[in-house]
Amino acid sequence: MKTVFRIVVLAASVASAGCASIGVQPWQRDVLARQDMQLTTDPVEAAIDDHIYFSKEASSGGRGFGGGGCGCN
Amino acid sequence: MENDKRAITGALAAATCTLLGTASPQPVQAQEEPDWNFDTGLLYYGEGDNRVQDLSFDVLARRNLLDERSLTLGFTVDSLTGATPTGALPQALPQTFTSPSGRGGYTISAGQLPVDNTFHDTRLAGRVNWQQPLGRLTLINVGATASNEIDYLHLGLNAQLSHDFFKRNTTLSAGAAVARDTVNPIGGAPVPFTQMQAATGGGGGGEDGEGGGVGGPGESKDVTDFMAGITQVLTRNLLVQLNYSYTDSSGYLTDPYKVLSVIDPNTGDGIQLTPGVGLDGPTYLYLYEHRPDTRKQQSLYGQAKYFMDGTVLDLSYRYMTDDWQIHSQTVDLHLKWPLNSTDYLEPHLRFYRQSEAYFYRPSLNDGEPLPDYASADYRLGRFNAFTAGLKYGWTSANGSDMSVRLEWYRQTGKIPRNMLTGDQLLVNNFPDLNALILQFGYRFGR
Amino acid sequence: MRPTIRTVLSLTLVLLCPARAALSDLPTDLRAYEGKVVIVDFWASWCAPCRRSFPWLNAMHDRYADDGLVILAVNMDQDRGAADRFLAEYPARFTVVFGEGETLARDFDVMAMPSSYLIGRDGKLLRRHLGFMVKDQDEYEAAISDALGRKE
Repeated sequence: MKTVFRIVVLAASVASAGCASIGVQPWQRDVLARQDMQLTTDPVEAAIDDHIYFSKEASSGGRGFGGGGCGCN
Repeated sequence: MENDKRAITGALAAATCTLLGTASPQPVQAQEEPDWNFDTGLLYYGEGDNRVQDLSFDVLARRNLLDERSLTLGFTVDSLTGATPTGALPQALPQTFTSPSGRGGYTISAGQLPVDNTFHDTRLAGRVNWQQPLGRLTLINVGATASNEIDYLHLGLNAQLSHDFFKRNTTLSAGAAVARDTVNPIGGAPVPFTQMQAATGGGGGGEDGEGGGVGGPGESKDVTDFMAGITQVLTRNLLVQLNYSYTDSSGYLTDPYKVLSVIDPNTGDGIQLTPGVGLDGPTYLYLYEHRPDTRKQQSLYGQAKYFMDGTVLDLSYRYMTDDWQIHSQTVDLHLKWPLNSTDYLEPHLRFYRQSEAYFYRPSLNDGEPLPDYASADYRLGRFNAFTAGLKYGWTSANGSDMSVRLEWYRQTGKIPRNMLTGDQLLVNNFPDLNALILQFGYRFGR
Repeated sequence: MRPTIRTVLSLTLVLLCPARAALSDLPTDLRAYEGKVVIVDFWASWCAPCRRSFPWLNAMHDRYADDGLVILAVNMDQDRGAADRFLAEYPARFTVVFGEGETLARDFDVMAMPSSYLIGRDGKLLRRHLGFMVKDQDEYEAAISDALGRKE
């Protein structure tokens, strides 16, 4: 258990060091703030499509949550 | 669509797939932030060959409150008519079936795909979500869903948590949903693999809602969903997301209205029956289907949004696998192409492929022992699907957005040859689907 | 156990303690405001909370400008036209700074939009405010009047 914990902490610190350099500055999110750059641009249309395809196929969902956007506050 | 009134697996539709993940985002508009955001849609869905037609109206209303908190209310009304394949095969002679209520019957012409159009249904669905920050970098969203049809009730709860890292370039999210669906099939839930009985022709009364007859009390199923995802800003113009989800369904997963034709394994033709005196049918032997009472699904979903000088590319891929041995892949592509400062065109392409469930088969062989599970429902079969569409949208002077989209959805399937015998090999009995999707959208704030 | 604790602690420090701009790095411009209490606020037209903060910033300006409060709203828009359209709809009575956004944002190590830095009469950074929340308004105003109240 101790070894696992150490590995997880180490991996997390390595990942954080690496991940910290990917992305943009908070003031560079003008494009990401656009409505059409949100992961779900049109929730009603997305729900309608999910419903249609769920009713006609054997798979469902998968679509994700938030993130992206203007990143404000 | 038809799933709502038929396949129990359809329950999830109103619930988690619209809840987990498609929660209304907080949009950033160039105009003043309104107290309310309304998102509405009017849909017409129509399948060829006199199959299902659906008309639905959706409203999503979000009340924006102070400091990033919001309350979202959603409402859908959905009216379904038309016919849906029953799982039985076309035969060389006309076929007479008993309708689900057990009170009447219908006849299908020789060589035609058997479809059941004996009832239409209206579905009502609602949802409520509350979203708020927990500390500056964490967001929580909790909600409930419910939907109701003539033979179906869905109730669900969901919650999601997301946390931002690295100046909000990375977001980790996790969510869970639980749902309890109860079905009271018209005519009662049939005992699996029992024979479709003759119509009782009992007293007046309409087709809808007149239950009774064979079968016991209602059935239920429980669905639990887990989802975990990571969203990453890669550049000023590129955003990606990766999600993993796991769904566990248990309970009554069978479709109470679907049957399998029993065939002669040598000729491939159906086993004919002679209805009793004074009765119309059934004229062939049909047994009700049976699906396992558990299903575990996993899926991996990736999405990218890329901004190229005014044009927005949205590309996603989903891989799904489950313990019914169904595998599927979906590729979805949208390209938003601005025409001028207010109008845009958005072509859409979707490719889908699925492999059949292990218990999927086009028919049952007479004289052979019954398998544990069997279903001829084409939606568990092997097929490819393709959607092509075009959306036209515009922003009006007061800041509201309107759009109209027209799409064509086509399914083409093939029943594996090793499942076919005799005359069945001469014709492809997979009920190919052609559907038209027409939807109007209107979004505004107040 | 000790090496693990060290690793955890250093990881925690990395995540919790971002680099801060040393006050000696503050741009020369600010020296012109010595003796005043300065709010350096970073905003952009595409940022909803920034929009919401404007009425409050105007109120702070109206209330405390005579006492020596200077508000410098540094615009971070890539497109100057967008900022102008925004200001046409939400006029600012305080000073709006254009063209120096990128440099100033890096100097101040801006971590969120909007970000607001309260600098005392002696040029010392008193507090940093990430984001704009209505629930924090009163507390922030108290910090402003407190900073104004200090004699140099």
